[in-house]
Amino acid sequence: MLTSYILITLIAMFGHSEDFLGTTLLSRPLVLGPLVGLVLGDFDQGIVIGATLELIFMGNIKVGAAIPPDVITGGVLGTAFAIMSGKGPAVALALAVPISILAEMVASGLFVFRPVWNKRFDRYAAEGDYRGVERLHILSGLLKPLLMGVVTLLALLLGSEAVRTFVDTIPPWVHSGLQVAGNMLPALGFALLMNLMFNKEGAPYFFLGFILTSYLKLPMIAIGGLGVITALIVTRITHKEQPPAGTDSDFDDFDMDDNPPVMVKPKAALLTQGDIRSLFARSMALEANFNFETWQNTGFAYTMIPVLKRLYRTKEAMSRALKRHLQFFNTAPHGSTLIIGIAAAMEEQNAREPDFDEESINSVKTGLMGPLAGVFDSLFWGTIKVIAAGIGSSLALQGSVLGPLLFLLIFNVPHLILRYKLTFIGYETGTRFLQDLSKTNVMDKLKAGSSILGLMVVGAMPATLMSIRTPAMIGSSDSAVALQGVLDQIVPNVIPLALTFLVFYFVKRNVKATYLLLGLLLLGFLGSVLNVFA
Amino acid sequence: MIRLLRIDDRLVHGQVALTWTPAVGAECLVVANDKVAKDDFLKMTMNLAKPANAKLLIKSIADTVTFLSDERSKPMKILVLVNSVQDAAALAGALPEIRSINFGGIRAREGARAISKAITVTDADVIVIRDLLARGIELEVRQVPTDELRSIETLL
Repeated sequence: MLTSYILITLIAMFGHSEDFLGTTLLSRPLVLGPLVGLVLGDFDQGIVIGATLELIFMGNIKVGAAIPPDVITGGVLGTAFAIMSGKGPAVALALAVPISILAEMVASGLFVFRPVWNKRFDRYAAEGDYRGVERLHILSGLLKPLLMGVVTLLALLLGSEAVRTFVDTIPPWVHSGLQVAGNMLPALGFALLMNLMFNKEGAPYFFLGFILTSYLKLPMIAIGGLGVITALIVTRITHKEQPPAGTDSDFDDFDMDDNPPVMVKPKAALLTQGDIRSLFARSMALEANFNFETWQNTGFAYTMIPVLKRLYRTKEAMSRALKRHLQFFNTAPHGSTLIIGIAAAMEEQNAREPDFDEESINSVKTGLMGPLAGVFDSLFWGTIKVIAAGIGSSLALQGSVLGPLLFLLIFNVPHLILRYKLTFIGYETGTRFLQDLSKTNVMDKLKAGSSILGLMVVGAMPATLMSIRTPAMIGSSDSAVALQGVLDQIVPNVIPLALTFLVFYFVKRNVKATYLLLGLLLLGFLGSVLNVFA
Repeated sequence: MIRLLRIDDRLVHGQVALTWTPAVGAECLVVANDKVAKDDFLKMTMNLAKPANAKLLIKSIADTVTFLSDERSKPMKILVLVNSVQDAAALAGALPEIRSINFGGIRAREGARAISKAITVTDADVIVIRDLLARGIELEVRQVPTDELRSIETLL
């Protein structure tokens, strides 16, 4: 048993290393669940539990510094306890939800604690000691997997028996209540996603997704494909070429020559292709030392170090550069390499031209980090992650190992290609790339298209990923008709759809997610006891 | 009408585009900032980040007051973004319509202390905050709409 505990702890530590691994979704329950299942000898169960937890935590995304419940610790422990006690997904979620909320407090504590190192980072910067910066960035980053590893191991050692005894005392009617409640919880995830994208213009695409799955029984992958096609057709037809993407009239007299921080790649480069590639590789550890005071600052400095080493030979120049890049920074990690590439080009120019305005490097960084976070957060969290999770969970719920695999591929193939390319685009074309982009309506098309695609997939979710039925009968005992049969003839899957909209209504009214979660649990429980839902 | 006045030193970014704009149903984002209004580069970056279904206006504080006082802006659902407590106070002083201010993010600066995960204040900020509170304006701290709403009074 101890071996299993240690292996499960290692899985949790691997998950908590996500900040070294470029936010590649390796830490999501859909991926870690099967791994825990493998350790405990029930791979299939691990896949199904992982998918169930993925659905419930689907709406929890990391935007800016808003930290969602810790699904890594919650997911790993919930899956482990459920498999060890021989119970299914219902027990996993009953445990994962409270654990993830508690674990989030521990992780947040670490983010509050980390600024303690900032004085030491400043000292290294003053001495031009880039090795010190690298070392401390990594060491501080390792604290998270270590700390959460200890938490996981302790929970397993101290909690397993207690959880097993507790779970065994759960009477069957409570267990079936939990099961129904668990099947209802994804409605919260869907509603939180809808809250990000649902609006009047988008509503038809949501219902298109619903109808395609509910009536035509199309699988999620088909919805993804049709969504891409629909998005392409719609954005090409309805969005005519217009003057600058901005609706602001000031943009008409946008004069490029007046922009001080325009960067174009100089002719003879001081940096090698290898240097630029290492920017991409190092950007994976951008968030390793994430903290609540200066956010991703040490990650940015860490990423830039290969370039700085190449460009600055004196202690003074290195010291100034390190100080520059240790200033507050925060952006969406997936698109961070664009800013990193631009910063590298500006550093190169600075090294070449003695009268270059060093301050402009940071003003470009801070000018870009917010807006680009807006662009890439929407694209990756609002669209690509949604499609990956929709397709991945729908396959995994049937126990297919393709679920977690496709989940990772659908997200990371575009993510890593774009992240790699953006490093070079940023370095080679500087801010001109953005200026050219702002003169076209590519961004508008991309945003409109990705919201269409996202909404179609979300619309397909209640029908494919939630199974709530009613065992109720209508009419007197002799001529009683199953209500579900009647519903299926009119609108199949109408119950999951209605539940999703009910939760969405409350989300719109700013009811806290925790209350909604408890409300859904209660509704499922009562529904099961009163034989209204099954 | 103004659906939300938010203090956020990154102005338009992920939390704003992805969560607040849909949450308050904003059709129009107004970035009220004297520096950005004069900086074409920053304007360009913000235009890239604006949410697909909303209009983005970037104006100086004075122009923002003019715009928001205009009757024609009344039917629009507007989300106003400023990057400092002082700018928020300037708008609240000129526009009696503002009864609530959202504190989204103010990064660590020289002489500022942290009062929550994402908010730091200087002594000068605190004076302005006390003054706003004395005028009965609600000051709430939330990064994203689903965060628990906390009054700034309890954090000072």
